[in-house]
Amino acid sequence: MLQEVGIDPRRVEMYNLSAAMGPRWAEICTTFTKTVKDLGPSPVWLADQKRKEK
Amino acid sequence: MIVAKRKPIEEIKELLSGYQKVLNVGCGTCVSVCLVGGEKEVNILNAEIEMSRKMEDNPIEMGAACVERQCDREFLAALDDKVEAYEALMSMACGVGIQFLAERFPDKPVFPAVNTTGLAVNQDIGWYEERCRSCGNCVLGWTAGICPVTMCAKSLYNGPCGGTNKGSCEIHTDQPCAWHMIYERLSGQGRLDLLMKVHPANDWQDIGPRTLIQPGYEKTVAEGQKR
Repeated sequence: MLQEVGIDPRRVEMYNLSAAMGPRWAEICTTFTKTVKDLGPSPVWLADQKRKEK
Repeated sequence: MIVAKRKPIEEIKELLSGYQKVLNVGCGTCVSVCLVGGEKEVNILNAEIEMSRKMEDNPIEMGAACVERQCDREFLAALDDKVEAYEALMSMACGVGIQFLAERFPDKPVFPAVNTTGLAVNQDIGWYEERCRSCGNCVLGWTAGICPVTMCAKSLYNGPCGGTNKGSCEIHTDQPCAWHMIYERLSGQGRLDLLMKVHPANDWQDIGPRTLIQPGYEKTVAEGQKR
């Protein structure tokens, strides 16, 4: 669906883990935050900003 | 049940081009069960359209509603107060629901978000197979409960064509020959004599829009029409 509307599908990831897996949760958060930062701002956010500037 | 398939996003966007405020109406019956046009799917499609239009610098506001059945007046009435605020309507119901929605709100353009694909059985989650073409003259009594109109590529009424091939249809090896299946089942039931009778083709020329009035309701319908 994301690809259809022109958004990089790497922006969404699903993980399955239990409430007892704290260290794994932290690891996922760190890795995924890096992934999103590397991808740069969301194109939807950028479009919103552009419109606000007008 | 009636099953449908969502139209490609590009086609939907093309239908909505030129509109800035559209109400997307789902249906809580068949299309909800076949995972194409219920409340969840309305919200997903709306998000998709809104994101896409934002990125094209042409934002659109998509409203969401889902009625119990779009083919029943009393449920459509729930939309009466909402519709006025929108330029156009989009429906995720089957073709019947879309038309009834358009009939109730004749001043608003109504767009289909799905393609109605037929009357099907549920083989597994998300897997539907057509079984009935709604021909209006059911022959299942003498075809062992297997519909030759739907299951035979040529909709034949009196046995297989020359293309039957060891149980498969000539159109594809994965497509079973309906008449082979009918023969096998009738054979198992000891009812092969049914195949000896020649059956005339269906009267397809009378397949225009049909009206069904159940026995006992004729008077009520006549009174309603007078009103």
